[in-house]
Parts: sequence; structure tokens; C-alpha cells
Amino acid sequence: MNEAIRMQVSAFVDGELPENEADLLVRRLSQDAHLRKQVSEYLAIGRIMRGEYSLQGSDALRERIAAELDAGSLQEPADSVVANEPSRYFRPVAGAAIAATVALAAIFGLGRVADVDTAVPATAVVADETVSETVPSMSDDELRQLMILHGDGSNSFSTRVTSLQMRAEELDEEAAVEDPDAEDDEDVTEPVTSQP
Amino acid sequence: MLTHNHTTKAAACIVFCGFFTGPQLLAAEATTPQDWIDRMGNAVQVTNYEGTVVRVRDGNVDTFKVVHTVKDGVIREKVVIQDGNGLEIIRNGNEVHCILPDRESVLVEEWNNQSTLFSTLPSSDIRFGNEYDVLIKDFERVAGRKSAMLAILPHDNYRYGYRIWLDLETGFPLQTQLIGDDNQPLEHVKFADISIEQDIRSGALDPSYSTDNWKWYTEPRLTMKREVQSDWLADDVPSGFRVVSTQQKILPDVDDPLTHIVYSDGLVTVSVFIAPVSDGMEPRRSSVGASNSYSTVIDGNRITAVGQVPQITVEQIAKSMRRSQ
Repeated sequence: MNEAIRMQVSAFVDGELPENEADLLVRRLSQDAHLRKQVSEYLAIGRIMRGEYSLQGSDALRERIAAELDAGSLQEPADSVVANEPSRYFRPVAGAAIAATVALAAIFGLGRVADVDTAVPATAVVADETVSETVPSMSDDELRQLMILHGDGSNSFSTRVTSLQMRAEELDEEAAVEDPDAEDDEDVTEPVTSQP
Repeated sequence: MLTHNHTTKAAACIVFCGFFTGPQLLAAEATTPQDWIDRMGNAVQVTNYEGTVVRVRDGNVDTFKVVHTVKDGVIREKVVIQDGNGLEIIRNGNEVHCILPDRESVLVEEWNNQSTLFSTLPSSDIRFGNEYDVLIKDFERVAGRKSAMLAILPHDNYRYGYRIWLDLETGFPLQTQLIGDDNQPLEHVKFADISIEQDIRSGALDPSYSTDNWKWYTEPRLTMKREVQSDWLADDVPSGFRVVSTQQKILPDVDDPLTHIVYSDGLVTVSVFIAPVSDGMEPRRSSVGASNSYSTVIDGNRITAVGQVPQITVEQIAKSMRRSQ
């Protein structure tokens, strides 16, 4: 992905790309899976650099990227246009592929539900009289199920598609449980005996 | 105290620019923002279309091939996700098949409503001038079609803003952006190409795979739901939010019923889920895309608020849930 595309993507994400250019960019993205992957990597790195992900493992990832930066394998762009802009997006040039691979593994390999704030202070719990003092946190599975239930009644295209994607992920996990090597695992979903 | 994002306080205003001449007069029947919203509400219900949608959010780019038809009141849709596991979603009326090619599996679900993939907004209920302002801001081309851009501006930080590009000819939404409180898009959904009201090619709605010998799964997730009266209420909801439904749901493998209260400000919904818990639980904030959730425990019940609204909104609603006496 060249610098021109990176600039276009940044402008598009910021809602600042002229509509005719946005049309061309989106058409190209729709036709080029490799470019989509590159753009996702690029955007994901930007979010991690800004600390917008707090998925499990991403802190370590952030430290690793910071170490790469310190070591000079990742560089801030020398491009003056970019340099003069507020650092809303980190625009990697050299060595980006290394961090991108790590970023993808951390973000997309760990599911879609992200904790916004994993470090909720215990004092916050005590400070609210009506909130119990407590212990275990709600599991990802439980939260995912509630998000699916919310998505079922949502009118938003994204919410509904995401809800279905989550169901598919559930099915994927359930299907994996059916693996002969994992016979002891409990099936959650029963296969239908007849097909339509 | 929250600051207002926008200084505009007029109930609704409309800005016509010089671009709006000639063929654009096809949309002359829609003269106010509310007219445009009504046109869109109708268009997403009756328009047949086939195209490619690109969604950018959370640093990820997804592409979907979509086909949608309505015939004799029966909605048929096909959505194919172009990346990842190639998930296909095929809807025929109320029945939905999620096809997982890599697992050679099909999940059968049921949708008991008439909403469609692009039912982005309601055509009524939204109270412009109270929680949102709306204006027609610009006229541009999207996916090669002339469109009007409708901007919906929230009055406070409890909700997101929207920009929706509507096809001038049909009122169909060609592009949407969800706008965060820093006025930056949180999510783009945009057609890269679209054919509207063309004869949808034969077989376009058929699965891309022969699934006869694949594993088929029913949907045991939700076994029962019914409308109920609940003694739970939020006593500090952000302005404009009100209860639009309260249901009790019985989930498989879960003994206690789940109470599901839906709050809406006319544009977005926030679900509040209430279930008894024997143990305590730490409050938790999470997000999926632009949707946020907040969970806590109140009076021995786990309260979880979920919605495509800022974190502050789900948190305030969840924390203010009380059992009325």
C-alpha cells in the first residue's frame, strides 16, 4: 500500500475525502481483498498506537510496538504533510509489516468484544451504594449472547450483521467441539435431523 | 454537565444549494428533512437492489455482497461476507440461514420482524428539535448515483450523529456514517456499486454452495419470550429515552428468566438486560464497533445495558436501574 493510498484512507476515515475520491477508494477496496487486508492492518496499528484497543494481550503488543519504535524498525513518516498534521493516525512506513502481523494476531485473533476499560477500580464498586461488592466478571460468552439479543431487534445494518457474525462464531466454536477428538465436550446446539 | 455538540437548536432546517436543479427535481416531493426520512423509510422496505457494501470501522474493512428483494410482502435477502470465513446469510421471509462454508454447516434462525438490512432509521417517533437536529447538507454522487446528504446532529454527548446519503431517485440510503462526539466518523457503510430496481438475476438469492450434505443446526438460543410488566425502571435516563418494550426471555440452559427492557430516543435503542445473580460481579465496560455495553450488579441482579450509543449513555442507564416499590 503506497503513501497516497494511506493518505486517502486516513482522509476517508476522518470523513474528509472528497466524495468522488471516496467512491473510487471504496470501489477499489470492494474489489481487492489484499488491499482491504493492508488497510485493516494500517488502521489497526493506528488504533493501537492511540491506545484505543484494550483487548487482552494488546498492552503487551503496544509495548512491543513501542520497543520496535525505539529500536528504529518502525519509523514515523518523513513526509512533511503527514508530519504537520495532528498525530491522529500513526502512519508507519518502514517495518510496518512486522507490527501489522502482530497487530492482526492480537486484534482479530481474540474476538470482537473488547473491554473498554479493563481496569475499573475496585473503589468504584464500593463507592456506589447499590452496586454489590463482588467478584467474578461476566464472561465473554454471556456478554456476546446479550449483544446478539440486542442485535436481533436492531434496525442497524452493522449491528444486525455483527450479531449474525457473532452467531456464526458461536456455531464455529460449537462445531469445533464436535470434533471427534473432543467427544467429552458438551454440545450446545443440536443438529437438525431433517433439512428443508 | 454535558456540553452541547452543536449550536443549532432549530427543530429542523433545510439547506438547498445550487446543485439541486434539473434531474434532482425528481426528489421534489421530498422538501423537508422529515420528507426525506419518510422516503427512506419507505425505500428500505420496498426497494429491490443488488450491490457491494464496504464497511470501515474499528480499524477493519469488511466487504459484503448484498441482494434484497421484496415480493408479495416477503423479504428475501442474501449477504455474503467477502473476507474471513466467507459467511453467507440467506433470508427467505422469517427464516434465515447462516452458511459457514469452512465448517460445512448451516445455522437456521428465525427473524420475527419485517425490518430489513438497511432499516437504518424509523420514519416516525424521532423528535427533531429535542434530542437531534436534522438538515439536508449537500448533494453528491455515491456509487455513481445522485444523492442528498442528510445530517442528523445530536444535542448532547449521549448519542451519536449520523450522515446518510439518500438516492435522489428512490430515497434509498447509499452511504451512512456514524459520527462520534469529536465529529469524526466511527463507522462508514457505503455501497461501492449498486443496482436499484433492476430485475434481480435469477439465482442471485440462492446459496453459493450445495449444502444438502452439510450439518444443519436449529436455533436453541432463545426458547421463549413474552411481553411483561417489569418493576425495574431507570430513574436517570438521558433526555428523550423512554421504554418501548419489556420482555421476559427464557434462554436455553439458564434457569432464571432474563428481563429485557428496550429504551429508545426514537433513533437508537438501548437494551437493558436484568438477571438474578448469586455471586457478585465486577462492573465491566465493553465495546463492539460503535456499540458499547456496561454491566454491574444492583440488588442481587446483574444489569447490562447495550446499545449503539456512547459509553456514558449505557453506563448512566445501567447504574440508574431501580426496582420500583
